[in-house]
Amino acid sequence: MPRLPNTSPQTLSVLELLLESPRSWHYGYALSQLTGLKSGTLYPILLRLADQGWLETRWTEPEQPGRPPRHTYRLTGEGAKAARTKLAEAAPSRMTRRLAFEPGGR
Amino acid sequence: MPTHGFLGRLADALARQLLSWLHRRVEPGSREWLDALIAESDCADDGWQRLRWALGGVPLVWTINGRRRMNEPTRGPMRARIVRGVANIAGIASGFAVIIPATDLATYFFRCHLFFGNQPGGCQEHPFVFASIAIGGGVLGMIIALALRARFAAYWWAVVSGFNTVGSVWYLRSGIVDLPRYGATQSAMLMAATFGVVLAAIMRDAPWTETDHGPVHHVGDSAGAPASFLSRHRIAALLIAGTISFAMADALIRMRDRHLVADNVNHYALLGSAMFAAILAGLIGRHGSRLSAKGCSGTE
Repeated sequence: MPRLPNTSPQTLSVLELLLESPRSWHYGYALSQLTGLKSGTLYPILLRLADQGWLETRWTEPEQPGRPPRHTYRLTGEGAKAARTKLAEAAPSRMTRRLAFEPGGR
Repeated sequence: MPTHGFLGRLADALARQLLSWLHRRVEPGSREWLDALIAESDCADDGWQRLRWALGGVPLVWTINGRRRMNEPTRGPMRARIVRGVANIAGIASGFAVIIPATDLATYFFRCHLFFGNQPGGCQEHPFVFASIAIGGGVLGMIIALALRARFAAYWWAVVSGFNTVGSVWYLRSGIVDLPRYGATQSAMLMAATFGVVLAAIMRDAPWTETDHGPVHHVGDSAGAPASFLSRHRIAALLIAGTISFAMADALIRMRDRHLVADNVNHYALLGSAMFAAILAGLIGRHGSRLSAKGCSGTE
C-alpha cells in the first residue's frame, strides 16, 4: 500500500519540531541539528511542505554584516493543523518503532 | 595539528567550490531554496561540516531542477521526444565510434587478437592500452553526451567509465590475464545491473517527493493529489527494464561464436542493451505521463 504524503519519519520529525513553537521562525541549520537530518534530506522536505502551503518562509536580515540574509520557516495555520493530525495518526507506529529500538524494548 | 588545519581548509574550499558550482546549475528564478542552503552553510563550525552541508545541495539541486522540468509546459512532446532520443542515441553511438575503431587499430598495431580466452597473442597482454581505450572512450562519450545535452547517454558513459576503471584496477591488481573471457560476460552483466539501478535513480518522476517515495505531487496540485500506479512504482518498473537489458546483453554475448559479432560482442551487447533500456524507459515515462495527465487515481 502506498505511503501517504508527509508521513515519513523524517518529515514527521520536522513537523514535530516546528510544532513545538509554531509561531516562531526556525533556521534551516538549527532544524538540521535538532532533527539530525542532513541538509540534502531536510531542504527537499521543507520545499515540499512550502509548496503544499504548510510552511511559511521569510528572508531575514543577517545578524552580522557581510553575511547573507537567512531563510526562516514556520508552519502556517493550515500546516500546524495538518501536522497535528499527521503526528497523532502516526503516534502509535512511531511509539512501536521507538520501543523496538530501545534497549530492553521488544 | 597542521595537517588537520590544511585538510579543514581544503574541505572548506571544496565546499565553497561545490556550492558555487551548484549555484550555476540552477536557473536564477529557481534559486531561492539553494540560496537558503548556501546562506546556512556559514553556520558550519569547520570546513568538514561545511562540506557535509554543501553536499546536501546536490540532491536539493536535483529536486529543484526536477520540479522545474515537471512544471515546464510540454511543447511539441513528440518532436521533443524524438530530438531527445536522437541526441541520446548519438551520445551513446559517439563513444562507440571512438572505442571500436581505436580497439581495432590497437589490435592491428599490437598484432593481437581479442580472444575470448587466455591464448597466446591475445590482447590481454596489453592491459594498459586497452584499459585506456575503454576508459578514455567512456569519458569522451560522456563529454560528447553532455555537449549534446543527452542526459541519459551522459549517465550511461559515466557508468561505463567508472566500471571500466574499477575493472581495470581489479584486473591489474589480481593479475587475471583471462579478462576477455570473464570480463566480457561479467562486465555486461554488471553494467546492465548497474545501469538499471542508475536509470531507476535518475529517471524518478518526482525527485522532490520525500525520500520514502510517497505519492507524486506536482506543484500547484492539491496536497493530497493521488499518484498513478507507474509514478509510484517507477523505480520497480525501471529496475525491470534494467533486468531485461541484462538478459539481452547476456543473450548477445552467448552469440559470440558467430564471427560477425565475435570481436566486438561486448560493445554490441552494451550498445544494444543501452538502446533497449532507453526505449523501454521512454515508454514507461510516456505511459506514466499519460496516466498522470488523465488524472488516474492511485486507488487500487
